[in-house]
Amino acid sequence: MFVARSIAADHKDLIHDVSFDFHGRRMATCSSDQSVKTHSGSVWRVTWAHPEFGQVLASCSFDRTAAVWEEIVGESNDKLRGQSHWVKRTTLVDSRTSVTDVKFAPKHMGLMLATCSADGIVRIYEAPDVMNLSQWSLQHEISCKLSCSCISWNPSSSRAHSPMIAVGSDDSSPSAMAKVQIFEYNENTRKYAKAETLMTVTDAVHDIAFAPNLGRSYHILAIATKDVRIFTLKPVRKELTSSGGPTKFEIHIVAQFDNHNSQVWRVSWNITGTVLASSGDDGCVRLWKANYMDNWKCTGILKGNGSPVNGSSQQGNSNPSLGSNIPNLQNSLNGSSSGRKHS
Amino acid sequence: MEKMSRVTTALGGSALTGHTMHCHLDAPANAISVCRDAAQVVVAGRSIFKIYAIEEEQFVEKLNLRVGRKPSLNLSCADVVWHQMDENLLATAATNGVVVTWNLGRPSRNKQDQLFTEHKRTVNKVCFHPSEAHVLLSGSQDGFMKCFDLRKKDSVSTFSGQSESVRDVQFSIRDYFTFASTFENGNVQLWDIRRPDRCERMFTAHNGPVFCCDWHPDDRGWLATGGRDKMVKVWDMTTHRAKEMHCVQTIASVARVKWRPECRHHLATCSMMVDHNIYVWDVRRPFVPAAMFEEHRDVTTGIAWRHPHDPSFLLSGSKDSTLCQHLFRDASQPVERANPEGLCYGLFGDLAFAAKESLVATDSGRKPYAGDRRHPIFFKRKLDPAEPFTGLASSALSVFEMEPGSGSMSWFVDTAERYALAGRPLAELCDHNAKVARELGRNQVAQTWTMLRMIYCSPGVVPTTNLNHSVGKGSSCGLPLMNSFNLKDMSQGLGSETRLDRSKGDTRSDTVLLDSSATLITNEDNEETEGSDVPADYLLGDVEGEEEELYLLDPEHAHTEEPEYVLPQEAFPLRHEIVDTPPGPEHLQDKAESPHVSGSEADAASLAPVDASFSLISVSHALYDSRLPPDFFSALVCDMLRFYAEQGDVQMAVSVLIVLGERVRKDIDEQTQEHWYTSYIDLLQRFCLWNVSNQVVKLSTSRAISCLNQASTTLHVNCSHCKRPMSSRGWVCDRCHRCASMCAVCHHVVKGLFVWCQGCSHGGHLQHIMKWLEGSSHCPAGCGHLCEYS
Repeated sequence: MFVARSIAADHKDLIHDVSFDFHGRRMATCSSDQSVKTHSGSVWRVTWAHPEFGQVLASCSFDRTAAVWEEIVGESNDKLRGQSHWVKRTTLVDSRTSVTDVKFAPKHMGLMLATCSADGIVRIYEAPDVMNLSQWSLQHEISCKLSCSCISWNPSSSRAHSPMIAVGSDDSSPSAMAKVQIFEYNENTRKYAKAETLMTVTDAVHDIAFAPNLGRSYHILAIATKDVRIFTLKPVRKELTSSGGPTKFEIHIVAQFDNHNSQVWRVSWNITGTVLASSGDDGCVRLWKANYMDNWKCTGILKGNGSPVNGSSQQGNSNPSLGSNIPNLQNSLNGSSSGRKHS
Repeated sequence: MEKMSRVTTALGGSALTGHTMHCHLDAPANAISVCRDAAQVVVAGRSIFKIYAIEEEQFVEKLNLRVGRKPSLNLSCADVVWHQMDENLLATAATNGVVVTWNLGRPSRNKQDQLFTEHKRTVNKVCFHPSEAHVLLSGSQDGFMKCFDLRKKDSVSTFSGQSESVRDVQFSIRDYFTFASTFENGNVQLWDIRRPDRCERMFTAHNGPVFCCDWHPDDRGWLATGGRDKMVKVWDMTTHRAKEMHCVQTIASVARVKWRPECRHHLATCSMMVDHNIYVWDVRRPFVPAAMFEEHRDVTTGIAWRHPHDPSFLLSGSKDSTLCQHLFRDASQPVERANPEGLCYGLFGDLAFAAKESLVATDSGRKPYAGDRRHPIFFKRKLDPAEPFTGLASSALSVFEMEPGSGSMSWFVDTAERYALAGRPLAELCDHNAKVARELGRNQVAQTWTMLRMIYCSPGVVPTTNLNHSVGKGSSCGLPLMNSFNLKDMSQGLGSETRLDRSKGDTRSDTVLLDSSATLITNEDNEETEGSDVPADYLLGDVEGEEEELYLLDPEHAHTEEPEYVLPQEAFPLRHEIVDTPPGPEHLQDKAESPHVSGSEADAASLAPVDASFSLISVSHALYDSRLPPDFFSALVCDMLRFYAEQGDVQMAVSVLIVLGERVRKDIDEQTQEHWYTSYIDLLQRFCLWNVSNQVVKLSTSRAISCLNQASTTLHVNCSHCKRPMSSRGWVCDRCHRCASMCAVCHHVVKGLFVWCQGCSHGGHLQHIMKWLEGSSHCPAGCGHLCEYS
């Protein structure tokens, strides 16, 4: 099902995040090695903006900043003509502690960026002028009271779903507090308010991801903690009269897998939100897929070094397609921004 | 004597004990220094100068050295140092330029011993010689360093750095005569204490001021320097030229740097501003601090390891007026929090996966994980100073690419490109789309399309040429199958051209299909099992309501069937009595004939007897008009669309929505429709299917969607002659009164596709320009511009 190919990314320390762009043709990586001296601390995460806003990346770092980058293609009379280089457009310095995650909001909300930091504050920035990436205004500060490790925007573009952010915490304090909080934007107060807390998640959360919502009425949230968990959040139909107040959700845990036998570090959804990939300390990537009964099953195990794993027989999507439309990833990587930004 | 003291201070069997603790000082601290016995610490600041005893649970104030009624500037300390051989000897650097020594052995309350008022400006640093009891060195803002012999009243020698300010002076531990000094201009100088005339060596260590330096305690000639450029650099001073061994990037300017005892590669830093934390770095892993102490609420000004042979206790003083003892094991370890893995799903189903190499190492014999125990990573291991460094952590980055045709997203692209959404009669659209879906192996979707055709294409709408196929439909739908509904669709889908298409698809079923309806059953079953995306029983479940009605048709055909057809039917439970409707005997023959006929020839309509069409009409009339109008199904269809959407196949939902148009639109609320549209369009754009996405936008009825491609559609045009903006409408320039849109090649006015060169604004027919530029790279208008066409 999969062909593994290793890529030399020239990082000198751990790679903390990889991210495909909107069209799946380019990949950005970030590492502790500070990506050629642009941050002065480990770069925890990197994320792409919607290409409508240009070739824009955001990164966040241990050095308490988040940065927004834009790719510039050399002007025609320049000697750098046609060559692209990345320019740091802005540095967001509001955090007093390590910025642990950065995510662009779904496109329909405009050019917005959420960051979360170890001091437990989620900050939402907006670029009022999408042509001017150096100007970002801090719109909201949400205090989570717990050291945050990851955030995820609800990608739903439906008007029925107000903007929503899930925040995970990796606070290792023994007090068993819920580590996942969900905040929702309230049109009336123009503020983000806590909508839900997932009380059942009490272990440190390393990653969190809403599934792409392609016309679903409910939301699916994957959480990487000591196991993989998948929650569904069904909005309870609002009474017409009580338009204010946060939406109530019916929350169900639909799957919980400890097959990694270790901490799970990352979860990532495929484009249609039907397959979840998770990676854990066992060095494997596991793929999860639901059948029509909403039973989630493991459909594949991939070993990090490409060697096959027993039991990774695939049924996959069972859509034998006629054309092969795989982009040549290696080519597209060359000359692109595989984590190297030249400031 | 010296040896003796070394031995006694070395950590014997009795290790230090203590906790992470802090105590409040009365005033901000500027510097701290630890007594040789590791039991006392002196804290000095602008208005504080105290000695604290470090006890098991707390700090206890032992002595206040600020005595006397009127405060003297001599007591305002910028730095303090405790002699490492003489427990009674301290030196402070005062902000007024005075170097003061203190003798704790003095019997009076005032312990002040000597005063050296030689510097003209603030003394930044004082330093005792590590092995010579009476030698003290000072470095001042005035750019001079002075060496004092405590037995003499004045300085022994003065060293001029020929530079602005001295920030730090440190005696070398390795070399008796050498000391290092750091300067605000970024230089580090090495001096021989016997030669005050010029420095031994000088090099530029940092960009901007070098605030601190520290010699490695283990005699290795290593010097660590920290500067405002946020970097800590480790230099090897043994070589001819100072060689940069390591460089650690911190997040703020480095105010102090101290090597960690017993850990060859560790050093602690604190920052001058912004950052209040203390970090311990492994210089070989310069990107992530090994440990972090976060107790202070204001800038940390002084750090000192409690004992020169104990790596776990760190003392610190801060501007927030606290004195802290940090325990290494209580430090937070950013490395622990650091994510060792990255994972991202690509658009086409590729997975990019970066993981720490040790995690993905190929050693198959690795022990299985016991419970929740994490694989220990380097910094978490038991601190054993002797343990060799395992090497810099590194990640392996690999991409798992989907093998072509094994579940990548190409089905989506193909489907999007090949679906027909408008411009043809509904029946044809459905047939076409069903065909596309079937060719892509998406049988369930294909079924759905054929079903939709069945539901919505009432016979009156179906062109008469299709009648014979309807006959085929009629005959097969008579089969009392488990899911007669689907079967019926099937046969419906077998209409006119579909039959031919099917023959391409699966030849096996094709030939038998119409001859023996029985084989249809097996065929049907196959298809059901193949389609895995959507459960077959979903459809079954939902259509069950209709089955009863559908079975009303059964009798006719059941009776008309020849015995060999009847036989396989028995394999299935007959859910409905067959005798309900009396079969028209006159139809019998026709029925038996018609499938064969239609199967053999596409234009078999001529052969299809009138009776056949009649039977069809009667059937469909009974089915659709009197009992089940299409409206009856619309709720069902809506459910189905929702189902597809929730399964992640918004493509199907939107396609059906567009194809069916008004028929279902009213039953699905606007918001949901909009949601589907936006999701689908977003998806199409991800795959760069701009044309399809535009078509979808165009065909959508939702106002919010259809206005999507009406934004930013203004094109500003300049006249190609006078280069001025064309103000009026049309293609004639106001100013030069010429038509702007002339083709530069054929000199005719261009209607339709016009291509410009952005450089010289000449252009013309796309074809002409393409042709021209194949042969020449110059502008066809003769303006000399080198046009580019790509």
